[in-house]
Amino acid sequence: MMDTIPGMDWKKLISQRLKTRYKREYSDFIDLIDTQNNLFEQVASLKARNVQLTYETEKLKSENLSLQVRVDSGSESSGGGGSNERVKQLEQKVYRLQEELTELHKRRGENAQQIIDLSNAMKEKEKELQTKDGKLMDALALENSLKAEIKHLESTVFELEATNQTLKDEHQALQMAFTALEEKYRKVQEDNSELMARWLDLKLKEADKMNQENDRFFKQKQESLKRDLAEAAKEHKDIIPQEENSVLLKGVTPICLSATLPTKAQCKVDAHDGEVNAILWSPTGSLFATGGSDRKVKLWDYNGGMCNSRGTLLGSNAGITALEFDPHEELLLGASNDYASRLWSVRDQRLRHTLTGHSGKVLSAKFLGDATKVVSGSHDRTLKIWDLHSKACSKTIFAGSSCNDLVTLHGTSIISGHFDKRVRFWDPRADNTVNEIGLHGRITSLDISPDKASLLACTREDTLKVIDLRMNQVIHTLCADSFKVAFDWSRAVYSPDGSYAMAGSLDGTLYIWNIQKEKVERTLKEHTHSILDCSWHPSGSVILSSEKQKKIVLWADM
Amino acid sequence: MSEDRGILRSIWDGKIPVCFTLSQDEIIAEKPEPIYQMVPRITYFPLVTEKISKHLAQYIDKEKQGEMWLECDGVPIKWHYPIGVLYDLLGSSGSLPWKLTVHFQDFPDDEIMHCLSRDVVESHFMSTLKEADALKHRCNVINGMQKKDHKQMWTGLCHDKFDQFWPINKRLMEHTGDDLFKYIPFRIYQNDLPFIQKLFKPQSEEGHEHTLDDLLKFAVPELMESTDNTIFIHGIEVPLHSPLLWLSEHFSYPDNFLHICITQISTQESSKEW
Repeated sequence: MMDTIPGMDWKKLISQRLKTRYKREYSDFIDLIDTQNNLFEQVASLKARNVQLTYETEKLKSENLSLQVRVDSGSESSGGGGSNERVKQLEQKVYRLQEELTELHKRRGENAQQIIDLSNAMKEKEKELQTKDGKLMDALALENSLKAEIKHLESTVFELEATNQTLKDEHQALQMAFTALEEKYRKVQEDNSELMARWLDLKLKEADKMNQENDRFFKQKQESLKRDLAEAAKEHKDIIPQEENSVLLKGVTPICLSATLPTKAQCKVDAHDGEVNAILWSPTGSLFATGGSDRKVKLWDYNGGMCNSRGTLLGSNAGITALEFDPHEELLLGASNDYASRLWSVRDQRLRHTLTGHSGKVLSAKFLGDATKVVSGSHDRTLKIWDLHSKACSKTIFAGSSCNDLVTLHGTSIISGHFDKRVRFWDPRADNTVNEIGLHGRITSLDISPDKASLLACTREDTLKVIDLRMNQVIHTLCADSFKVAFDWSRAVYSPDGSYAMAGSLDGTLYIWNIQKEKVERTLKEHTHSILDCSWHPSGSVILSSEKQKKIVLWADM
Repeated sequence: MSEDRGILRSIWDGKIPVCFTLSQDEIIAEKPEPIYQMVPRITYFPLVTEKISKHLAQYIDKEKQGEMWLECDGVPIKWHYPIGVLYDLLGSSGSLPWKLTVHFQDFPDDEIMHCLSRDVVESHFMSTLKEADALKHRCNVINGMQKKDHKQMWTGLCHDKFDQFWPINKRLMEHTGDDLFKYIPFRIYQNDLPFIQKLFKPQSEEGHEHTLDDLLKFAVPELMESTDNTIFIHGIEVPLHSPLLWLSEHFSYPDNFLHICITQISTQESSKEW
């Protein structure tokens, strides 16, 4: 039915077709569908009615049943004569009650169900409660533990506070102590400065005194010189006869043919403060030197039985232990406890050299050969050889034991006596000991005989040993009953002719032995304290001895 | 003009008898009687099936009850097309009343949209209406309306009240003087293909009025060449030389769109005629 009618109005065509559609789709069906819908609704309503009626029937049936029951019971109880209405009423009542009963039953069932539900719920709640209880217990326990912890912490805090307090107190106390100490320190400083001032003052005074002393000394010297000059001028004529008699010739080394033993103490002088450690005649015998623990070395003139102080050699910082003149009597060598050896010029009494290098006190020092070399023995267990040209140590010998004394022989070999009871022989050109001899006591001193053939050693076993240097063995032993060696540095010496040996004892007695006879020839008693050193005049007739307490004694028979 | 009003009225009154049958697979006990109902062509299915859904839901498994959906010969019904369009596309080849199967299970999510309430239908309707006005007046008219006018149109459609709907709709259909519609809002449906919608002016550039024929030749030229196609609007074949503007004014559905259905003349129908 295509649109092929061109003349026909499209609008009319459309309305016509709409009508056709209306007829086809609507009017043909509207009645039918309405009817169907009506029927549908009717069926629904009838169904509902039917249900209602069925219910009503049921209800009536049950009512009937209950009525019948009541009629039966009523006929039994009231003989059946009861009024029908009442029966009906009762039946209705019964029915109502029954319904009520069923209702109640139902309710009971519901209640029972409810109870079950509730009990279930209760059980659940109880369970919950239990868990809650458990939790509560846990919480309580936790709380308790926390409380305990808190308490503990509190106590800790308290303790710490206490500690803090004590520390604070201590700090305060320390602070106070500190201020007090500071105050003290300040005072001490003040004292110190004051003392310093005083000390300086004293020093000044001392210097003044020293100057005065020097002036005085210089004057004395001048005077003595004048006197000497005057004397010399006066005694000009008597020189020659005097010369023949005198054993003391200036500048000439006297030759002793036989020593004579003095018997008298001719002169007694307080030489030093404290011990007089060393005393020694000069090679010519015109003067002698003493060294004491008062750090001084003194030179003395020996002039016909009189001892005159010639001068004091200063410079040592500790006590003098040993002295030695050079052969030309120009230099004096002194060993000191201040670890050094010193050389003074005899003529102008000036300090020439200080030989430092030992690490212990120097106990002995000797010229080696001519006056250009010096050997020293020290408590530091070494020997040192010094060259006086370079003023330095040229060799160090490690002796192994403290050296108490040493001597030189022929200007080439050194003999040292040691604390370990041995006498050691050294060649300065070799390092090792050439020889050694063991004795029975600590060696306190050594001396070479004038003929250079034997060695006199003094030991702490209170004997003197004479050792033959060629055979290296002891040939004589000198001892005495009351002879006791006083110190480790007590000295024994030969007489200038080599026939006697002399040593001082602890009790102040001077012993002189005849070496060949090995017996005491003479004892001289003038000292009241232990004798330290002694020296025999080169002429062989005068003896000097020094003791522990200031004194020196000159023995002579003039 | 009374003739035009008559046409408007008869289009509004167009109804189709529909037979709703519950799907055999979903019945659990007693088989319910099919329900017959006259449904307006211009409305949407969700607005008329509430009673049916309530009735038929008694006969199915409550646990499996899902959203209700309709099916015609195995094709799920798209609820957002007007019923007339759906019938012209799917049911016109069969006999009346139109048989539809009601389903409560296995909702075909990938083929049709969910419709959970009337509000969804309303928003869909209003959006289509606005789209149409955008094409016609660039939204000037619809935006000039009040909210209650929108509401009135919707309730008019819901309650099938011609007198309530049209006074408002008339304002959308008006064109003052030379100001014609900018474009004709139309949609062309073919069987199960997606609809065709294009911009088409009511007049040619020379000033001639376009006819339905012009539109179809513009939109679906290949279909116009064969002669075994039938063009339906509101269930009738509209003469092809009808002016398009008049059709748009009078033959549009309430959503202001001209829904044109093109169906192949089925062999069944032709054999019937034969």
